[in-house]
Amino acid sequence: MIDTIIEILNGICGADEGEITPDTELFEEGILDSFGLVQLLVELENQMKVKLDPAALERVQLSTPAKIAALAEK
Amino acid sequence: MFLLEALKKYAATDRTAIRYREDMLSFAELDRRSDAFAAWLLDTFGDDRTPVMIYGHKELDIPACMFGALKAGRGYVPVDTTFPRERAAQIAEEVRPRVIVDFYHMGLEAETVLDDAALAEIFSSGGEPARGNWIAPEEVAYILFTSGSTGRPKGVQVTAGNIASFDRGVAPWFVLPEEGGVCLNEISYSFDVSVCALYYALSRGMTLYTVDRAALNDTPVLFATLRESGISLWVSTPSLGELCLQSEQFRTALLPRAQKFVFCGEVMTCKLGRQMLERFPGAKVYNAYGPTEATVLVTAVEVTEALCAARASLPIGYGFSNLRCEIADVETGRYLPDGKEGELLLLGGSVSPGYLNRPELNERVFFEENGVRGYRTGDLCYREAGLLYYLGRLDGQVKLNGFRVELEDVESNLTKVSNIARAAVLPVCQDGKVTGLTAFVLLEKPDGLPSLKRAKQIREALAGTLPAYMIPRKILAVDSFPLNTNGKVDKKALAARL
Repeated sequence: MIDTIIEILNGICGADEGEITPDTELFEEGILDSFGLVQLLVELENQMKVKLDPAALERVQLSTPAKIAALAEK
Repeated sequence: MFLLEALKKYAATDRTAIRYREDMLSFAELDRRSDAFAAWLLDTFGDDRTPVMIYGHKELDIPACMFGALKAGRGYVPVDTTFPRERAAQIAEEVRPRVIVDFYHMGLEAETVLDDAALAEIFSSGGEPARGNWIAPEEVAYILFTSGSTGRPKGVQVTAGNIASFDRGVAPWFVLPEEGGVCLNEISYSFDVSVCALYYALSRGMTLYTVDRAALNDTPVLFATLRESGISLWVSTPSLGELCLQSEQFRTALLPRAQKFVFCGEVMTCKLGRQMLERFPGAKVYNAYGPTEATVLVTAVEVTEALCAARASLPIGYGFSNLRCEIADVETGRYLPDGKEGELLLLGGSVSPGYLNRPELNERVFFEENGVRGYRTGDLCYREAGLLYYLGRLDGQVKLNGFRVELEDVESNLTKVSNIARAAVLPVCQDGKVTGLTAFVLLEKPDGLPSLKRAKQIREALAGTLPAYMIPRKILAVDSFPLNTNGKVDKKALAARL
């Protein structure tokens, strides 16, 4: 799960392999903004059939790949 | 002017004009504050018609400054704080305003710079200028700055008459069955789609329900805000619709009074159309289109299941009844029949008098035909059974989350960043809609940095000169650029690397 999330993020922001780690702060590092987050959620749904509701999630709950993976695995 | 008349009319009621967070501004107060601002402008600067520049975001008092300027017979230049100080300063150099209202103390320079405290004092001093001072139809009401291919923003001038023409054209599409209601006010004031709320909605006594960037960046707050909004007319970019649709909560139960959803400012996908119809079965959904140079919107169409099923992409709509749309051969300029692809030309009362201080560009893109003003949109389109379809741009302009971005503008600013020798920017597309920008950069010397770290440094440098929406999300260093036979960067070959 976490690998797929990181792969999707690499695709969105063009990071080198290994640059984004499970604990990278995605908003602080400027990797995601509101519209980037939408892209990530759409890809999660397309690739992994996981649907996360942004209206029910605080940004801090989605701030790192590890946190997103934990939510997606629930 | 129709809007200023309407302010007077609704000032006699107890209606609310604008809601912003916990604050409300009545029509009476909006009318009074704009009168006071106008009186101050006339007292201080007399008959000088230099536009007033307003640097802020969605502050409650911005419309009072805009309409105050109009009541004093001058225009305004709204600059959103997504524009960094340097870009705002470039705009000030072009406009040379004598007054700048600077809500965030950004340190812009002019003869008079007002902050919110100074503004409050002006509002409290009162005054009501005679209607004879109000802006006339042929005078410039606002100037909006959009991305320019030279790396500096260019200002589109729009007259009071242009706005009135837009209002007449859009009215049959926007009209709601009942008087009053609430209109979403989310679009940045420096982007002309905000004119729908400021002019169409306010002039009909509707309340503007303001959503600012902070709410937009915090989806739970955005939804809590929408839930209590009572919105009946929704005007936004498709991108905002897509963001909201990511949540299952975005449906009739959240916005029970919503009657019309109008999407404009960028490509609307069939997918968005279908989802909106499914989530809001009692509401009507529209796709609308228009360039700033022809005042906000010029075409619209109601989105139906049948329309979504008919083709891969939605049409941009039927031309408004008070405007002529022609498809012209790109080489010869000859008007083409239905079904043929060509450049979309617009002719009518909503076409701008031109860009500020750009005579050569004006000569190229604006024209007169039998006394009617025309504009060459640079949009490749065709028409079938009265419906116009958009195919793409004839130049390097893209629409991203509704914002117009000239790729050359981003490229030119990238090459000003240290250690970047050359840059090329490409749009990233999904379902025919631009979802982001990718920059390829050729470094002057190797920096040994990992990709993300370098990208972050470059983005930080760009943030000093470009608005956030123009900064590429993805920045990749390349060893060389593929070149075409003209020695220019071969963007097609570059796109293959994406």
